[in-house]
Amino acid sequence: MAEKICVVRQTIIYLSDKIRSGYLSDPKGRRISEQILLLIEEIAEGAASLDHLTGIDTLVESYFYEGSPQPNLEVGKALKETIVEHREIFQSHIETRNCPSHDCGKLAPSPCQMACPAGIDIPTYLTLIAKGKDAEAIEVIRRDNPLPWVCGLICTRPCEFMCVRARIDAPISIKFLKAFAAERAMSDRAYKNPPKKEFNGKKVCVVGAGPGGISAAYYLALMGYGVRVIEALPVSGGMMMVGIPRYRLPREVIDREVAMVEELGVEFCYNTRFGRDVTLEGLKEEGFEAFFLAIGAHKAWTLGIEGEQKFPKVLDAMTFLKDVALGDHHAPGKNVVVVGCGNVAIDAARTSLRLGAESVTIAYRRSRNQAPADPEEMEHAEEEGIKFVFLTIPQEILGEGQTITGLSCMKAELVKVKNSDRLVPTPIDGQDFIVKADVVIAAIGQYVDTSGMEAFEGVNWSRRGTIEVNHASMETAMPGVFAAGDAVSGPATVIEAIGGGKRAAYGIDRYLNNIPQPRMPRIPVRQTIESPVEMTASRKMTLKPPVMPMLNMDRRRTTFQQVELGYDEESVRQEASRCLRCDICRRCGKCVEICRDKMGIDALQLGYMDFDVVTETDFRTTAENCITCGACAANCENKAIVIDEKDGQRRLVLCGTVLNSQTIQYCDECNAVLPSAEYLQFITNKTGHVTQVVDQRLLCNDCQRKIGARVNHPIP
Amino acid sequence: MSKHYLSQDTKKCIGCHTCEIQCKLNKNLPVGPKLCQVIQVGPKLVGEIPKISFIFMSCFHCENPWCVSACPTGAMQKRAKDGIVFIDKDLCVGCKTCVSACPWGAPQWNPNIGKVEKCDYCMDRIDQGLEPACVSTCTTNCLSFGTVEDATLIRRERHAASVSSFDENS
Repeated sequence: MAEKICVVRQTIIYLSDKIRSGYLSDPKGRRISEQILLLIEEIAEGAASLDHLTGIDTLVESYFYEGSPQPNLEVGKALKETIVEHREIFQSHIETRNCPSHDCGKLAPSPCQMACPAGIDIPTYLTLIAKGKDAEAIEVIRRDNPLPWVCGLICTRPCEFMCVRARIDAPISIKFLKAFAAERAMSDRAYKNPPKKEFNGKKVCVVGAGPGGISAAYYLALMGYGVRVIEALPVSGGMMMVGIPRYRLPREVIDREVAMVEELGVEFCYNTRFGRDVTLEGLKEEGFEAFFLAIGAHKAWTLGIEGEQKFPKVLDAMTFLKDVALGDHHAPGKNVVVVGCGNVAIDAARTSLRLGAESVTIAYRRSRNQAPADPEEMEHAEEEGIKFVFLTIPQEILGEGQTITGLSCMKAELVKVKNSDRLVPTPIDGQDFIVKADVVIAAIGQYVDTSGMEAFEGVNWSRRGTIEVNHASMETAMPGVFAAGDAVSGPATVIEAIGGGKRAAYGIDRYLNNIPQPRMPRIPVRQTIESPVEMTASRKMTLKPPVMPMLNMDRRRTTFQQVELGYDEESVRQEASRCLRCDICRRCGKCVEICRDKMGIDALQLGYMDFDVVTETDFRTTAENCITCGACAANCENKAIVIDEKDGQRRLVLCGTVLNSQTIQYCDECNAVLPSAEYLQFITNKTGHVTQVVDQRLLCNDCQRKIGARVNHPIP
Repeated sequence: MSKHYLSQDTKKCIGCHTCEIQCKLNKNLPVGPKLCQVIQVGPKLVGEIPKISFIFMSCFHCENPWCVSACPTGAMQKRAKDGIVFIDKDLCVGCKTCVSACPWGAPQWNPNIGKVEKCDYCMDRIDQGLEPACVSTCTTNCLSFGTVEDATLIRRERHAASVSSFDENS
């Protein structure tokens, strides 16, 4: 068997060929082969359990009975070799319901799920939310992400950037729907932890109670480990708590979700710094067998310009945000200048404004398009009255005595340089200017604070000062020590840390059970296939994404109340039902091709299916030309587009969207179901030149034969 | 009309359905599609005696086949050299227009593969000089396969026999 395509698919092709060609002439061998084929097909469809593999093993053995003919022995031997050699591939198809090479067409995960660093099964939970099953949706999310509420408010939402619906109008607001479901489930007291395994006697120490640490602690606790989380700060949440301001992420949200993790028996030790308050030896003596480092990247880079060391009011954004989060609610000054334009810079600027600063300016050396901050965040900041000055390179902090008076800057232009994709800001001579300031906040990036980590001698640190790991298991070079989050990636996102923490938890579990670590990261798991929400083509096309209601502007400029107020329930259900269900339809475009090129009907206008050249999509136009012949449905591998019969109508339904509905006709003789009038008209148009139009009764296939028999051969 | 002709002597047929079974085995068909089918007509009282007929129905391989005209993909075809109407399953997309177009119910639906199946007089067999599968196992020899000319002669002879004065039933 050739090695090019997925082994599971390959085995199916091999076996079908042996059966169809009549090569297996022995009836018993043929029966065995057909049974094995059925089992493998179920594996390829994601409908199998691990029992299928044992079943196949037994069946393969039964080829080798006494006197079994040569073809049986040959096929049996080939199958045995394949199953032994590629057992883990079959196993991963069963366990993950995924085919990594996408050869088993039915098993492709949706683009949003593939884009999510934590691999959440997004289409499934969106459908559950659309159906009003919030608690079930949370249960699905928490299989991959223990903090759905937090992520629902502040995730950088890589999923939405991959959303296929964006090719039609706008991406689904995946992010916030999660927050709604979490809030509702929490309020209904339906936000529950899954059952955890019995304590297995092993203990793991997690360093850092940020998203990475919480995520690892959650999955480890579920697997039955004793988990202690060491946290230097007096609060949990890490950067989510002391980095993200509470007008974006209320404290209570973190507290509630951390409480869920605590409920699993995870022990949190606050105000405890690793290397100062606890030591590696001490923890090892206590019986901790594995360590997970999720210490984040909390140290801010300094500007490195003149005057920086001279004035007390030169702050770094991290310290500033942390102090505010921990209770220092004093305005840093009247005229605040924030240097940098990442999300931290925006947070520092908006926080300064809320604390009472009169003017807040963000100075960035590149232009708006290059700014790393979320464009939406920048817009919110601008709405609140924060000024942006782009192409501005800070040169010197000016002042008298201890007081800052301004920030001297150079105007820059973007220049293309060799060996760099990014345009480089270069000062323009003679265009220096001064920005009025009494506080300068540097927000140009953070790095990992390695103090206290000396005990982990075997851990390798990269040139950027981050921990080097195997990204599949998050294992460091030091046995039993794992790491994830910003400490590994450098300043990144909450969801990446959560994904890393989850991978680390599985890595630790393998380490403590002496199972070799995987070489490739796990592929996202499709949990179930939730039946799609049914609606008309018009509704599917005309549903519009809701507009996020915002806190009024005066409060946004003066208080720390949550800015995004959240959608109402109706909007949430509607928005969730806009999902195209890419977990069912993998957009191979076969239906469109068959309808257009083979049938010549061209009723399916589904331009979104083409990834490279997106053309117009309109579900409503299908009904104009479609004859409900069902050729599209007959050729859909995933049963994403189906023909069904309901209330006297034959309908064409694509992932819940009713594209067409035509009246069913019945056989005049036996009342059997017949094609629609539109379909018969299509045939008449094609056969009109050879058939005479006569007064024909509508007859089904069987009756036509019966009547044909009677007419031609009357009983003698 | 193809140059071949499959004729049935209804007087000889006992309705054993062996032809159907042989056809299915030969084409490896699942439950459902019957490329040929023996249809029972009757029983009906003719005078005092209940009578029954078994009619062999497959495909007539029409001169102007409606199924071929109806097929949008060109899967349903008429073989140029002898007029056999057959389906190229690689081209079939399962729209079933042929099924609906045929007044005789000849094209049959194979639900397992989502495509249409149809009697092709076992083209592969007749090209090798064999008879169609159904004919080859007919228990009473009521099915015969040959040219249209043969068939018309058979029919004339049969009719002549039935109207002859020796036949007591006429």
